[in-house]
Amino acid sequence: MKIKKINFWYLTSFIISFAVAIPIITVFSSFFETTTNYSLILRDTFLYDYIYNSFILLIGVLLLTFVLGVGCAYIVSFYYFPGVNFFKWALILSFAVPAYIYAYSLTAFFENYGTAFSILKNVFGENDYNSLIPKFDGMLGAIISISFSLFGYVYVLTRASFHYQSQNLIELGKNLGFSKKKSFFKIILPSARPAIIGGLSLVAMETLSDFGSVSFFGVSTLTTGIYNAWISFDDLVLANRLSFYLLIFILGLFILENFSRKKAQYHLPSKGGFKSKVPITLSGQKSFLAFMFCFIIFFISFLFPVFQMLYWTIIFPKHFMDLNINQLFLNTILLVFLSFCFLISLAFISNYGNRVSRSKFLESLTAFSVSGYAIPGIILAVAFITFVSWFDNTVISFFKVNTIKSIFIGSILGLVLVYFIRFYSLAYNGIKSGYLKINYSIDESSYLLGYSKFKTFTKIHIPYLKNSIFLIGILISIEIIKELPITLIMRPFNFETFATTAYIFASQDLLEAAAAPSLLLILIASVFILVTSKYILKD
Amino acid sequence: MKKISLIIALLATLAGVSFADGHSKEVNIFSARHYDSDIQLYEKFTAKTGIKVNVISGKDKALQKRIIEEEKDSKADLYITADAGRLGTFQAKGMFQRGASSKAIKAAVPSNFRTAYWTGIAKRARIIYYSPERVSASDLKEMTYENLADPKWKGKIVIRKSNNVYNQSLVASLIKNNGKKATAEWAKGVVANMARDSKGNDRAQILAVAAGEADIAVANTYYLALMLSGKKGVEQQAAAKKVKPFFPNQDGRGTHMNISGGGILKYAPNKANAIKFLEFLVTKEAQEHIVNNTFEYPMIDGVEPHELVAQMGLGFKQDLKIKVSSYGKKQADALEVMLAASWK
Repeated sequence: MKIKKINFWYLTSFIISFAVAIPIITVFSSFFETTTNYSLILRDTFLYDYIYNSFILLIGVLLLTFVLGVGCAYIVSFYYFPGVNFFKWALILSFAVPAYIYAYSLTAFFENYGTAFSILKNVFGENDYNSLIPKFDGMLGAIISISFSLFGYVYVLTRASFHYQSQNLIELGKNLGFSKKKSFFKIILPSARPAIIGGLSLVAMETLSDFGSVSFFGVSTLTTGIYNAWISFDDLVLANRLSFYLLIFILGLFILENFSRKKAQYHLPSKGGFKSKVPITLSGQKSFLAFMFCFIIFFISFLFPVFQMLYWTIIFPKHFMDLNINQLFLNTILLVFLSFCFLISLAFISNYGNRVSRSKFLESLTAFSVSGYAIPGIILAVAFITFVSWFDNTVISFFKVNTIKSIFIGSILGLVLVYFIRFYSLAYNGIKSGYLKINYSIDESSYLLGYSKFKTFTKIHIPYLKNSIFLIGILISIEIIKELPITLIMRPFNFETFATTAYIFASQDLLEAAAAPSLLLILIASVFILVTSKYILKD
Repeated sequence: MKKISLIIALLATLAGVSFADGHSKEVNIFSARHYDSDIQLYEKFTAKTGIKVNVISGKDKALQKRIIEEEKDSKADLYITADAGRLGTFQAKGMFQRGASSKAIKAAVPSNFRTAYWTGIAKRARIIYYSPERVSASDLKEMTYENLADPKWKGKIVIRKSNNVYNQSLVASLIKNNGKKATAEWAKGVVANMARDSKGNDRAQILAVAAGEADIAVANTYYLALMLSGKKGVEQQAAAKKVKPFFPNQDGRGTHMNISGGGILKYAPNKANAIKFLEFLVTKEAQEHIVNNTFEYPMIDGVEPHELVAQMGLGFKQDLKIKVSSYGKKQADALEVMLAASWK
């Protein structure tokens, strides 16, 4: 059956992908203008610092998330010990804690005269404990905060990959006379490599675009550098160079990630003829060690920030009382709901358009637009504002119609649109991976039965992909509950979410007051995670 | 097609949200300086004038960027932030309009702390904190900002990073007084005296002195009062008592002062209301509210600062020679000399 190249679906997908790509183009094109505010010497100092810091941060986070993510995934997949079924899902609760809230907790606990000091004083009596308490701030603090809030990506993907590893592989190791250690490094780890790299590249992308925790710890990275150069100093030359380096970092990650995905096809397990895996039951000391490893990571990644925030909420109850929880909840849920509808429906249409038109051009445009995920939210938001005002000043004012700025800037619509651009890749790729499982022959049969494209879409694809939609929807919701920089810049007057409320207090050095909104944010995100945990763990 | 019309309907509703704020009895504030107590202040203003206060708070520069891009379509009337340098730079970009020197404001606010475009609403001093156990009164005799570069303080000083705007304003004032060259030398001396690489906020500097990591810290006045108030918990309250404030340059030009303040934006749709709001902020009622919640110094005469701030010393000589509006012009130079001295 011949499919016409240009049709309704093609056009719609084109428009969606193009709309998402616009701000990304704006980011880079606006830097081709030249304005210089820093002296050359300063600019070189900055440039070196930003690249160096981003690099160290990236390496640190990747190492730590690798150890945490793969370590946990390995232990819960291959061994049985008390609590293993609990840890399987408890470890993904770390998704509920955004890196900036983790940073608040870390500082609150370890700073001079912080919570750790109080604990030591109450247990051992008055003494000078400050010099004994390790300080997790600066680069180290940023690495820890980001790692513990992101290792879940590596954990979930690696675990899924281990889950499908057949017993045969492990027996192969045994037959070859490999020790457990050798089996792990020679067989288990390499076969999970695509999943690990996939998880790590997600972590890398989020690390490079992190703004909240690095700015809290005063670590100057490429992202804060672009923010400062572009927004604070109007130095487009420096911003341009920084974006260029950021782009190189990101491109490298994309290539790595794609490479690992291609490889993944060779590793897909076939179902027949393989024995399912039986976890080894641990006992005694080994069982205790496995339990402690998982428990400590669960504690540090989730319980620690929750306890710190809970502790403050309890000893400073006034801040909790003053909070307009209903309004904050409604605002947060409104944003989640609207973004969910927008993202899912448009990502769906675009996926379908790509599927039925099978156009190389459309595919490349979509691939490009999906890179919005790699652009830091704060940069994306400003680029969106810049684009809207440029469009308004040149195109709209030419036609002498009313201004469109107030429709898109400082409105819920504008806010949801930028969320849309930022998280489009999450929605698009999520639905795409579901689509890949539907064979093209199903579409063809549907056409043969006389179904139109629209009917095929609504009657066949949507029911088929219900689970993917649900899972992706929840992931998007969690991201939006935690989202900070876009919400800060784009939101209308008198509109606060849990994230913006926490930020505003924290920026006034009132971390105690930030505790209550932070705690509620974590709780809501946790509920979303618990609802979907069985889906996240299945796939 | 039902879906498409549904989407169109949704779009229309969303757009409607942004059109709906067309009241005339309102004032729209973009604020980079936010306290939870501000809400009560706004309520007082609304009760008095019937003018509704709408607020967006956020990061300083990002808010500025939004105002610049929105241009004449911006609904923002007032921009409020901490640090005179920030206000000065935004003014230099042509984003404010005249109006901040109405009769009432002129009468209330000393000329040193306002321009025609913006006015201070509260003051803070950037001072020295020391450990009385390790630093004696004679060590500090005639202590100045300039003396922070004295080698006798080697390994004893903590101060924030060079990217901090309060440091930039302080160093800007030094450049204004002593010239760029001398200040560049001074910055090298300060860096050589640092007890550690700069990190943390102002409160962390004070805590470092309390914890014995350093003998001297440079930080704003309200941070100590905040800790002494117990709002940061009992440990920090006790720690704050281990540290004493010292007001430098008393024998010369006086201690470096800075402000938090606000200006009327160029395209303010509710200019008259914005002026009314600024005027309200410098009334006795509003000033009392501000100083008791933020621990800043009042901008007007006849209002006492918070008791804890008063305990730190009130009769000190303020640097009134240099207008705070000059900070903005020298901040870039300030950053340059600090970075040249490898000030982190």
